[in-house]
Amino acid sequence: MLDDIQLIGLSALRSRHASERLGLIAGNVANADTPGYLARDLEGFEDAVRRLGRSPATTAPTFVETHPAIPGAQSPNGNNVALEDQMSRASRAMRDHETATLIYSKALDFLRSALGRKG
Amino acid sequence: MNPFDRVSQTVMSGLVAQAQRMQVAGENLANADTHGYRRKLVSFENIFDRAADVTRVSASRVALDASPLAERFDPGHPLADERGYVAGSNVNAITEFADVREANRSYEAGLQILKQSRDMYSALLEILRR
Repeated sequence: MLDDIQLIGLSALRSRHASERLGLIAGNVANADTPGYLARDLEGFEDAVRRLGRSPATTAPTFVETHPAIPGAQSPNGNNVALEDQMSRASRAMRDHETATLIYSKALDFLRSALGRKG
Repeated sequence: MNPFDRVSQTVMSGLVAQAQRMQVAGENLANADTHGYRRKLVSFENIFDRAADVTRVSASRVALDASPLAERFDPGHPLADERGYVAGSNVNAITEFADVREANRSYEAGLQILKQSRDMYSALLEILRR
């Protein structure tokens, strides 16, 4: 039962992580042609959980890092946003979000069947 | 503000900036044959709106390209100077088209992100619907 609840907490955080990440990616895409802009991304969810020691309450995804440009993406005006790279990051965030929401609703189903109601 | 609202605000600012850039490129192309026209330049700057916790991009003020105007020798022309040269514009059509292409690409990328954020939001709503 307790594990279930942690499952809910972790999956909720994971989906929040993914949506915050999409926010940063949106910033990168909007600034795709801004001189001197460096692309940003969140610290990976696994890394954050590992570093902060599995306590979901403190795993707020607030760790922004600028990620190194993929080779050749640095343009002469100092901007290092590669749109292809951002698209692949966005689709990964989307996948993570889908997984998290699926796990969340499955955990709710478990609770429901434990309470003897039909899922 | 929830992350999806932030995404749409950020993306919208990017779309508006790219559209402004396209407009400037359009003005340059339209004036490619205007005598004495200097090409307009627009750049972008990144703004962090601390109050709303949103990253935005905005088009900078329009500047004029200082490179020399194209000159053509045509002494009979009413706009010719004392040496007999007529000043054209310093618009290069190829540069403008490349600019439009790049703006178009970035615009589409923004739309794609907007669509993804909508899909993510409806996945959340799906939990409520069950």
